[in-house]
Amino acid sequence: MEKKIKIVPRYGVSLKDKLYLPAIYEGLKITFKHLIDNVSDSNAIDVLEYPEEQPTDITERYRGLHRLTHREDDSVACVACFMCATACPSNCIFIEATERTDNVDEKMPKRFAIDTLECIFCGYCVEACPCDAIRMDTGIFSLTGKNREDFVMEKEQLLAHKGAFGEENSIARK
Amino acid sequence: MSMAAIIVAVLSFVLAALLALMMIPVLVWLERRGAGLMQDRLWPNRTNVGGFRLGGVVQSFADVVKLVMKEEYYPSHIKMGKWLYMLAPAITFAAALLAFMVIPFADNIVIDGESLRVQALPVEYGIFWYMAIGAIGVVGIVFGGWLSHNKYSLLGASRAGSQMLGYELPLGLTVVAMLITYNTIDFNAMVQWQSATVFGIFPAWGIVVQPLAAVIFIIAMFAETNRAPFSVAEGESEIVAGFMTEYTAMKFAMYFMGEYVAMNTASAVIITMFFGGYQLPWVSTGYLLENFAIFAAVMMPLLPIGVFYFIRWMRKNNRVRASVSSDGGRLFETKVFTIVLTIMTLIIEMLLIYLILLPSDALGTAIAVTIFQIAVFVVKLMLFNLFFILVRWTLPRFRYDQVQHLGWYYLLPLSLINIFVTALIVVGVS
Repeated sequence: MEKKIKIVPRYGVSLKDKLYLPAIYEGLKITFKHLIDNVSDSNAIDVLEYPEEQPTDITERYRGLHRLTHREDDSVACVACFMCATACPSNCIFIEATERTDNVDEKMPKRFAIDTLECIFCGYCVEACPCDAIRMDTGIFSLTGKNREDFVMEKEQLLAHKGAFGEENSIARK
Repeated sequence: MSMAAIIVAVLSFVLAALLALMMIPVLVWLERRGAGLMQDRLWPNRTNVGGFRLGGVVQSFADVVKLVMKEEYYPSHIKMGKWLYMLAPAITFAAALLAFMVIPFADNIVIDGESLRVQALPVEYGIFWYMAIGAIGVVGIVFGGWLSHNKYSLLGASRAGSQMLGYELPLGLTVVAMLITYNTIDFNAMVQWQSATVFGIFPAWGIVVQPLAAVIFIIAMFAETNRAPFSVAEGESEIVAGFMTEYTAMKFAMYFMGEYVAMNTASAVIITMFFGGYQLPWVSTGYLLENFAIFAAVMMPLLPIGVFYFIRWMRKNNRVRASVSSDGGRLFETKVFTIVLTIMTLIIEMLLIYLILLPSDALGTAIAVTIFQIAVFVVKLMLFNLFFILVRWTLPRFRYDQVQHLGWYYLLPLSLINIFVTALIVVGVS
């Protein structure tokens, strides 16, 4: 078999490389050109004027703030199986289960809270969920509040969040 | 002492203090804004006072307010030498500030036959003062790092100390070579020496006469001021923040500001020793005094053209993008600045006409020459500070052993060879 060898040229042996100053000059030329270009027309710099301009390039795979999905009859899709809370590496999901009496399912969460200050947005809860009940496709990337309690997302808030990419209801629980 | 001597002394002191202290917010702004522009992004540009952003300089003042209001956190694990721990940043800051005081901002002004130095500390041993006081700055860093009782701080301090040792030697030896060339230890006499020409064509600036010494000196200065690419003492990617790790609020700001004052001082010394100080190339003070009417006549059309282009640039750039709804008072700011600049230009034009009509030996001409030289010095100072910033945002940091290697194995022998060559040439010429 023919050996595939790629010979990488070794830099830094010539006198020019060892002097180091020509390379510094080249580098300075590049930064200086950028400086001059941008000073002469600073409005041409391709930046986002946040918060006036909001990002438009949030993809479906972006892990934003969590939401709880609905069934088609608008009830909560979650069955309070505690899979997400078990998978959570930062232990920030708090679930209290209760019996479900409307004959759709047997169990549902009485309380479902996520402490977003503890959350590391790893997405393990989404992967662990067997009912597609928790998702991170809201596209919400900034969350503000006046005190710590504001950052604990309760069930009602999580249910109120809308998915940003069209899929509104849970796929696993119709 | 005559009245004129006192006035000149006070004014030069005020000028030095202003140039050193008021330069801090400007340099912090220039660093952040320059970094942004070099990396194709914007800068902190929203802070304003009544719509006046001054291009973002206001942000520096807001930062100072923040640092003053911040909690003065005092690490409880520091038991010994608390007073020295508190004093350390002040040592660094004061050393950098004092070292700036011997820079001549203009040639000696002659009033009533009395030659007066335009220098905050009117001493004749300027370079020695700079070498002595400038080197004390590292003592503050070593104290701060050592007394912090923190391994990162200690590492940063020891790095700063050993780096200073490694680069103070080539620095001192290049200065020796320059002393042999200039045959003086007085900064002002050095600048006067540089007003001449070599071979009748080139200005006799230090960088033309002694290019190798200039390169070594500038490199050593970068190391002395702990600036990138020699910022191993801070080394935020390796040792948190080096010697400043345990410092907060205004104590930290003291180190931070000291760094910028040191950079400013280094620029001033480099300019004075190698770039003709306050002189324009090919123009000595005597020539300027005799022919100031011609200079004023040349400046008269140039000034409005420059101001016109500046206003045009400001109108083009000092506005918000279409996507931003609020103007934030930028239109108003542009309008005010246009009016102010126009009025200032008119006043300066009138002054220039007055100066053209003055006889060349009048006191007014001497003062105008001094102001002109101060202006040249400030422009050069800003350009060199910009060079420091440009280098910082261009080059990655050296590894620590590479820093030492460069200092001891290359710069030191080169500066020694430079002394011998210089001495041979000086002896041969004379």
